[in-house]
Amino acid sequence: MARLNDDAQWIVLMGFVVSFALFFIAILINQSTVVGQTTAEAVSEFPKTDIREVRGMIIRSEFLSDENDKTTVQREIRNLSLSRHNAVVNFSSNRPGGLDPYTYIEIHYNNGVTAYNETWRSE
Amino acid sequence: MVNDDGQLYTIEGVAAALILLLTAYMVVNSTSVYTAGDTHISDMQLEVVGDDALKMMNTAPNSSVDKTSLQTIVETGDSAQFRTMFDTIVNAKTGTDRDRIQFMANVTCERDGVVSSVPLSESSHMFAGGEHAVRVSEWVIVDSSDCTDPSSGKHAVLVEALVWRD
Repeated sequence: MARLNDDAQWIVLMGFVVSFALFFIAILINQSTVVGQTTAEAVSEFPKTDIREVRGMIIRSEFLSDENDKTTVQREIRNLSLSRHNAVVNFSSNRPGGLDPYTYIEIHYNNGVTAYNETWRSE
Repeated sequence: MVNDDGQLYTIEGVAAALILLLTAYMVVNSTSVYTAGDTHISDMQLEVVGDDALKMMNTAPNSSVDKTSLQTIVETGDSAQFRTMFDTIVNAKTGTDRDRIQFMANVTCERDGVVSSVPLSESSHMFAGGEHAVRVSEWVIVDSSDCTDPSSGKHAVLVEALVWRD
């Protein structure tokens, strides 16, 4: 009668250990590419220069001497931001009055992913 | 004399080794996927270079000049001047050799309540559509241009450039 052969159990055990180790390494490598993907997306999606530029432009437009020019330029900033940068840009200003010598501009920027709000004060 | 015991173990060992090699090959091979994590680095650098170039062009050389180069270029629609200036700035490198950055620029503005773009300038290699380009933009306030309402007064326009390296 054939009996159960229990030789080489160490070899079988080591085989299991090695195969599980390989499996885990494969999972680690697989995950690392996903990490790169999300980092890249976060970096590429953040509208750093868009915000910086529209902010500078809003501040510049606030100090245009001609009132008609100011209205036109500010309307165009809103419309162009919406159509070319896919961002809702809104802003309003408080000119100096009473004892307060500063101009304040509230700036809101939102492109659906990133929102930026600021109250700017003239120096 | 040669001992021929344990031949089955030998065959099994060879088979196991083959399976291990195959697995290792598949694992190593699967890591050569070119992910977005690698492309964004050069994209970001290109974006910074292009954005800085536009910003430099939109800065007056000194306080007695009240119009920047970019303002004058947009107002007159001077395609050649834009090409020369932008090309010189973005392709400058340390040493005498030059970079291979190409570009295509548009001016976007609002006319009669409708937003529209007109081409401003492009480099010697035309944009064919297959390039991996990044977009940079710069706001300019101009007195008049081909794009805006002919009525007098200042207007905000957006200079947009597609920038790529070929």
